[in-house]
Amino acid sequence: MDNNFFGRRNDHRKLSYRLLMDSFKIKIILVITIVLIGLDVKAQGPPIFTDTPIMLGVQGRGVRTFGNIISRENVNAYSQVLVVPYNLTSKLQVAGVVSYLWISPEGTSSNSGFGDLKVFAKYQLYQKDGKGTTLRSLIKLTETFPTGNASKMPALGTGAYQTTISLVNGYVTTKYGVYGEVGYNLAGNGLPDNLVYNIAFGYPLLPQKYPPNQLNVFLELNGNYVFEDVGNNLFLSPGIQYIAGRKLLFESGIQIPLTDASPTNQQTNYILRIGTRILIF
Amino acid sequence: MKKLLILLFIGFTVTTVNAQADTSQLNGKITIEVDGLACPFCAYGLEKNLKEIDGVENIEINIEKGSVLLTIAERKQISEDLILQKIKDAGFTPGKIKKQSDE
Repeated sequence: MDNNFFGRRNDHRKLSYRLLMDSFKIKIILVITIVLIGLDVKAQGPPIFTDTPIMLGVQGRGVRTFGNIISRENVNAYSQVLVVPYNLTSKLQVAGVVSYLWISPEGTSSNSGFGDLKVFAKYQLYQKDGKGTTLRSLIKLTETFPTGNASKMPALGTGAYQTTISLVNGYVTTKYGVYGEVGYNLAGNGLPDNLVYNIAFGYPLLPQKYPPNQLNVFLELNGNYVFEDVGNNLFLSPGIQYIAGRKLLFESGIQIPLTDASPTNQQTNYILRIGTRILIF
Repeated sequence: MKKLLILLFIGFTVTTVNAQADTSQLNGKITIEVDGLACPFCAYGLEKNLKEIDGVENIEINIEKGSVLLTIAERKQISEDLILQKIKDAGFTPGKIKKQSDE
């Protein structure tokens, strides 16, 4: 009887939470639509979740770090990610990505440590510049090394080598920016391959000038289709970014699931990202 | 008459070479059109590359106009080719170069 009562109360809580999240999604879409339509604004910065084909400024000569607060129905986690890119030439960039994870599942002990190490290379395939506009396209090759401990639960890594080949495109003008990314991830160790797809739209709230003082808003769709009948994960990701001068950028965005292929009781509630990019080279 | 012709030829050649040298060497204040300047945060590399040129005194980047105003120090001259190469190295496409007096 008690179990039944608590089960129903739990279901009721989950239903309320879902309704609250749906209402929250609608409000976010409305606010961003109003901001995008209602303001006469100019120029913007790199997207928060989607990659950019522009390897200039903080995107080519800076260090990026961000924290992801991940809330799932059965686990809370935090990852601190450090990305260090370096432009070998104006068309070729190499980078390393290191992450540190804290994972706290419900009902079992938590785990923390370094996650999988990634390295990537970007090569610019196409560049067409105009007055106040640029259209660029690049190919990106990412290799993931299974450095995160996958033997102890909860696992800090996937335990598999993974290779991702992506095409990253962007059209940026002094009034807006549109970015698109599509990539195929080949996973080893019996894990299913997946198709990564991201679209981002950026819009600035302050007039452009140099040195920059920019406030930008973004609306992104971040998708990940997992093969072998696992399914599709799609997030709606609004974000905001402040560029404080030549060398410093602050950004934050939230990923809200639209579709989630995870099993029941393991679904994502949200992923909150807070980060900075600092130009050092 | 033959000597006169030779002298005239030498004089013409020297003048032409000097004139060519003058057009590729820049001084004073110049405005350079730069295509691809679509984002202010991207412009740092451009500023940094142009600053590396010996003789550059001041740089003003105008994102809205897509141009750079370069002030070259007195008694200094900078090769036009060097400026164009620095802009390309920064990841942008250089356009027309105008002397401030031309505007």
